[in-house]
Amino acid sequence: MPPRWRLPLLALGFVSLALGIAGGLARLTPFGFLPAAISLHGALMVSAFFGTVISLERAVALERTWAYAAPLCAGLSGIVLLAGFGVAGMALMALAAAFFFVSNVMVLQRQRSLETATLLAGAAAWLAGNLMVFYGQAAVPWWIAFFALTIGAERLELSRYLKRAPAVRVAFMLLAAAMLVLPPFPAALGAVLVLLALWLAAFDLARVTVRQSGLPRYVAVCLLAGYFWLAVGGVLMALSLAYDAALHAIFVGFVFSMVFGHAPVILPAVLRVRFPYSRWLYLPLVLLHASLAVRAALSTEIGAWGNAAAVALFIVTAALICIKGVPAPAR
Amino acid sequence: MFDLNQARAGRSSPKLPRMEMIDEAGVREALRAVEDPEAGMSIVDLGLVYGIAVEPGRVRVEMTMTSPACPVAPYLVDESTAAIRAVAPEGTDVQVDLVWEPPWTPDRMSAEAQSRFGWSG
Repeated sequence: MPPRWRLPLLALGFVSLALGIAGGLARLTPFGFLPAAISLHGALMVSAFFGTVISLERAVALERTWAYAAPLCAGLSGIVLLAGFGVAGMALMALAAAFFFVSNVMVLQRQRSLETATLLAGAAAWLAGNLMVFYGQAAVPWWIAFFALTIGAERLELSRYLKRAPAVRVAFMLLAAAMLVLPPFPAALGAVLVLLALWLAAFDLARVTVRQSGLPRYVAVCLLAGYFWLAVGGVLMALSLAYDAALHAIFVGFVFSMVFGHAPVILPAVLRVRFPYSRWLYLPLVLLHASLAVRAALSTEIGAWGNAAAVALFIVTAALICIKGVPAPAR
Repeated sequence: MFDLNQARAGRSSPKLPRMEMIDEAGVREALRAVEDPEAGMSIVDLGLVYGIAVEPGRVRVEMTMTSPACPVAPYLVDESTAAIRAVAPEGTDVQVDLVWEPPWTPDRMSAEAQSRFGWSG
């Protein structure tokens, strides 16, 4: 599919991003506007936004037109849900995950490895989560497993550049297996997420690239900060404490930080736009993590607004860099 | 003696001049400009370039990535094609193919890459 056709797919996901964040903020106000977005905040953010972005990435990697059905269904699911068609929207979400699962089967067929098997496990977790929504069951632990497995697999793959003992891969395999089966037991899943965060902090490529400069260092900072929040979220989940802080440590601190880091790497590949590295990218990143700290430790409301502002600032920064080619300030 | 390479260099990229003839080393040198953005290292040093075949008017390259799920792969193929076209004689047929067999292994990395990533030294 030509890159120009990928932009509308991404735009569909961004509608859910905008209204999903608005719904999340509306939860914290007494006014109760955007009722659909309020009740569907999680589904909009996880499946309709991240699901669109991640499955679009996979379709680009596969270079198969049918694989774009996953981001199309995921993107449309958000619009349909927001339009008030709950069942149809949830069915589209499940269909998106089903297409994504098949895409990952094809990835596994191209190369059988622990990495591609873990990606498939992540796709299975997303499908399970979306089916849980459809049947009115708890989806969030499955969605957490979807991100942890998907991001974990991608980091495992890049860590192959580094010299690591075979036991390191065995440890990852055990963690991945645990993440696939533990979503029905959120506290146990939380404990495994802590171990995954420790694994990532110890063995990821980011440990080396953070000592480089420019883009590799920026990506590494995003990732390492994300691993900190993954550990925080895992601890809170394991102890069944502070639900809002636990979830947002994982979804905002870990997942969004990873997205901030990878946008300059992925967007040129997906949209064929120029995205030169700029030190301005650290601005929304600092705001993201600082506001999350406020959210976890001081005020959910102020922190949530800060999180939303960080995402908005990142989009504006990225757009300015792409469109105007903002030069990087001198190091 | 009139140096055609230098004459051509004057009106092309200051980094790598377009060549009258291109050989495997020339292609490899051109591909050094293509980086895995996250590793911050060229695809040549990372051992992602599997094979280079040069015939008159034709360049064929086989490269891989560490993962078939990487969305950057098709982009790096296009970047590699453009990097070779920029230095190859005009009209050269350049084809870069992505292959998954054999799977990439760390021993394909250059000594510099191996040193940076802790495999030696």
